Amino acid sequence: MKGYLRYFFNKLAWFFVTLIFAFILNFTLPRLMPGDPVAAIVSRLAQGMSDASGVQAIYQQYTELFGTNKPIIEQFFIYMKNVFRGDFGFSIAQYPRTVADVIKSSIWWTIALQFPAIIVGWILGNMLGALAAYVRGGFDRIIMPISIFLSNLPAFGMAIIMMVVFAVWLKWFPTSGGYGFDLIPNFSWKFIWSVIIHYQLPFWSIVLITIGGQAIGMRSMSIYELNADYVKYSRFMGIKDSKIISYVFRNAMLPQITGLALSIGTMVGGALVAEIIFSYPGLGSTILTAVLGQDYPLISAVTLIITIMLLTANFVLEIVYGVLDPRIKSTQAD
Amino acid sequence: MKKILYVVSLLVIASMILTACGSAATEAPAATEAPAATEAPAATEAPAATEAASSEPADPNSLPRNETLYFNGQQWGSVVGWNPYSTSNNNGMAIAQQDNARVLMFETPYAYNMLDGQVYPLLADGPYTWNDAHTELSFGINPAAHWSDGTPVTADDVAYTWATHVKYNTPTGAANTAYIEDIVASDGTVVIKAKLNDDGTAVNPLVVQAYVSTNYVIQKAWTQTLEERTGGDATALLADTAEDVVFSGPYSKYFADDSKVVLIRDDNYWGQDASMFGKLPIPRYLAHTIFKDNAAGTTALTAGEVDVSQQFNSNVNLLWEQDGLPISTYLPDAPYQIGASLPTAFYNLKSPGLDQVAVRKAIAIAVDYPTIIANAMTDQSATFDQAPRSLMNPTAGEQALYDHAAVADLQWAGNDIEGAKKLLDDAGIVDTNGDGWREYNGQDLHYVATCPNGWSDWQAAIEVVAAAGKEIGIDITTNYPEWAVYQTVVTASDQPLPEGYDIFMMWSDGAGPTQPWSRVRHLISSEYVGMAGNWNGNWGQYSNADADALIAAIPGMTDEAEIKSAYTDLVKMYLTDVPSFTLMYRPQSFHTVNESVWTNFPYDGDGTNPPVPPMDLMDGWGVAGLYNLELVNP
Repeated sequence: MKGYLRYFFNKLAWFFVTLIFAFILNFTLPRLMPGDPVAAIVSRLAQGMSDASGVQAIYQQYTELFGTNKPIIEQFFIYMKNVFRGDFGFSIAQYPRTVADVIKSSIWWTIALQFPAIIVGWILGNMLGALAAYVRGGFDRIIMPISIFLSNLPAFGMAIIMMVVFAVWLKWFPTSGGYGFDLIPNFSWKFIWSVIIHYQLPFWSIVLITIGGQAIGMRSMSIYELNADYVKYSRFMGIKDSKIISYVFRNAMLPQITGLALSIGTMVGGALVAEIIFSYPGLGSTILTAVLGQDYPLISAVTLIITIMLLTANFVLEIVYGVLDPRIKSTQAD
Repeated sequence: MKKILYVVSLLVIASMILTACGSAATEAPAATEAPAATEAPAATEAPAATEAASSEPADPNSLPRNETLYFNGQQWGSVVGWNPYSTSNNNGMAIAQQDNARVLMFETPYAYNMLDGQVYPLLADGPYTWNDAHTELSFGINPAAHWSDGTPVTADDVAYTWATHVKYNTPTGAANTAYIEDIVASDGTVVIKAKLNDDGTAVNPLVVQAYVSTNYVIQKAWTQTLEERTGGDATALLADTAEDVVFSGPYSKYFADDSKVVLIRDDNYWGQDASMFGKLPIPRYLAHTIFKDNAAGTTALTAGEVDVSQQFNSNVNLLWEQDGLPISTYLPDAPYQIGASLPTAFYNLKSPGLDQVAVRKAIAIAVDYPTIIANAMTDQSATFDQAPRSLMNPTAGEQALYDHAAVADLQWAGNDIEGAKKLLDDAGIVDTNGDGWREYNGQDLHYVATCPNGWSDWQAAIEVVAAAGKEIGIDITTNYPEWAVYQTVVTASDQPLPEGYDIFMMWSDGAGPTQPWSRVRHLISSEYVGMAGNWNGNWGQYSNADADALIAAIPGMTDEAEIKSAYTDLVKMYLTDVPSFTLMYRPQSFHTVNESVWTNFPYDGDGTNPPVPPMDLMDGWGVAGLYNLELVNP
């Protein structure tokens, strides 16, 4: 137990060290981009304004408001102080909306789309990969090329193909939006059904891409495991194939779990392509707009959330691995 | 474990099959059954059958298709607020105080009509009048006009709105205090007092009269509530989202989230009085799905999920010519839209060689404009044969403001490679070292033409400019920085433009009550030379004292012949010196309609009087089109 505690605290310390550096980078990197975000706002406000000094007055007002006229060190300490109070400030591009409000209104769409898609894609991909490795023959010859094709298809290509085939030609699904263009959100079957059908194309466009990569990885791991001594021994023992597959599946899954955890850690980044192609609400396109519009507070807040989720997922994995695999714990503790 | 996986897989497959088989809630209406746009009757004779019924919606959770008019291209991203004092609402359906003000929720005293250049009374009672000295503008308020809370709109509301703009230095205040001394209510009449020069004349009467059609009247009582709530703090006042705002227009907020914004008709709208429109606007709801890009908006338009499209739909004519959809534009043939603004290529006049008129003009006359118009605008721009280049947009009102014959020799339609070469040869700018590029002062002419990355129509235009350079022995390469960087560089007129900004694109003003004066000013006035944070214009830093004098004088001119002569002189200077050149014409608003559900939209020659402009039924006098709509299947 002592070794494990040492391992735990070691990992925890690294967690915080990484977090501190990530926090500093989250603040500084967006601000190192060339350009002036306040100028972008003012250019929007200045449309139709004839008086030049009036425009400049507005510019001064906004640089003061967002503090972009202060030295970067001073901005950093103000930011740090506010973040510790849970205040990410105003979004520059969507002022006077707060960063918290922007994130709150779109993050649930992203999580509801990404989390199930990652899980389903992961499960189906791993199942198909394990089956391909075990059954081999014709099944493998079909699954492998399809998986390679899917995993290499660009996400936007998959999304556009699905939209053209299922929404434009077959008209099975709507072309855009998170719910019916003629509905107002409410708790009724009509609305829920609308959300479900609008969910399908963005969801499957992510799942299909995920399946390919997962299946290839799982197939390779499973082939390796299938040649392991314990499989041969099990066969000699006359253990049922289905039982053997479950052993193989569990062992081959370890690296796949790492991939799953990291995918979940980064899912807040959003399904940018699916969101844009299907005009689906979510954080992905919000982040893209924030980056292009140099919306520092929003960029910093979202990247901080992604960083924390990723670090947490990583940390939990390390800890769970430590419990599951004594070799890791002892190696790390030395 | 295995069982769970089987169950999950089955559920997933079943959900896809079920949803595919189910009847989609958003199924588009039959797209081919609508009559052609040109068959619509006179716009002022909407039948009673399409008028509003009861005021209570049957199902508050859905928007009946035959009561809802759908838009695209107005709202990008979520609505931020409903505050008419602020310009940071990102509220494309309700708030836009501009040359053609959006008057669905808030109203201006007058509504501007870009087709005839006139303003028509909205909240005002009859036309405005100037005093003899042309220093005070007066108008009354329509006695029928009232706010959404039932109280009357008064001259005092107009005066208090102005006082608030000034007190809190709002963008409107900052833009107008140099020209407007005060706005007061006098015996129920609004008097706008112009700021005066030392000689007692108004600094700029044009801006003063533009105020009445570009700025909203906001209720005094609500403003006082807002001031109380924000404690007199200007930042807080402008940042207030104003969910409780009182309005005078025919529509107000019904719903807004990250996916859509919906306005609902106020059935107590004062405009149904006989002195105004005489009835309510036809659609009960105005809805705008928030699309992530143009492609998604076009897909929805073709699917019949959008009725009025204010976005660039590439090759729009193919939608009816090839796909047979009941989609049309304001003009039945190219250019399909009425051009209003002049996307322009500016020269950095400090770049070696570009300080020479011969080089500037040679590049400008060599450019293949028909290709730009065909590629960048997919023919949704008038050609320079249809509307010869000047400083004016192609509307009849502006075209009449200069003497075409007097400048005909200076105008060019492009593709004049031989003429350009001759111009350069005559100026002694030739290729002496045989490397294929001409030299000036011993230096090869190498330039970078640029515009923001991702602005696809501009990028297509810039590529054509670069190609023209190569044809005449001037090496022009292209570069596309991100907008955030681009605008920071271009608007810093207090510093020299850096390398990579020899030829660059920016916009020009569209149609409005101060046009074409304001556009001319923004294109060539030297008041912007050396200005830090220059969001106004003349980004190439052109300076011409004669032009400045005329720009300063025009707002005070009242004689039409004198005005025409002044504009003609300005066009001559512009086409002679070529400090920048127009690449295409762009509409004030794109106006494309799908007549699957609604019909009788404005179109060229629709017989409306005054003509309803193609402003998507929401801007300036374009709002009058809402009263003429009819259902395809009542």
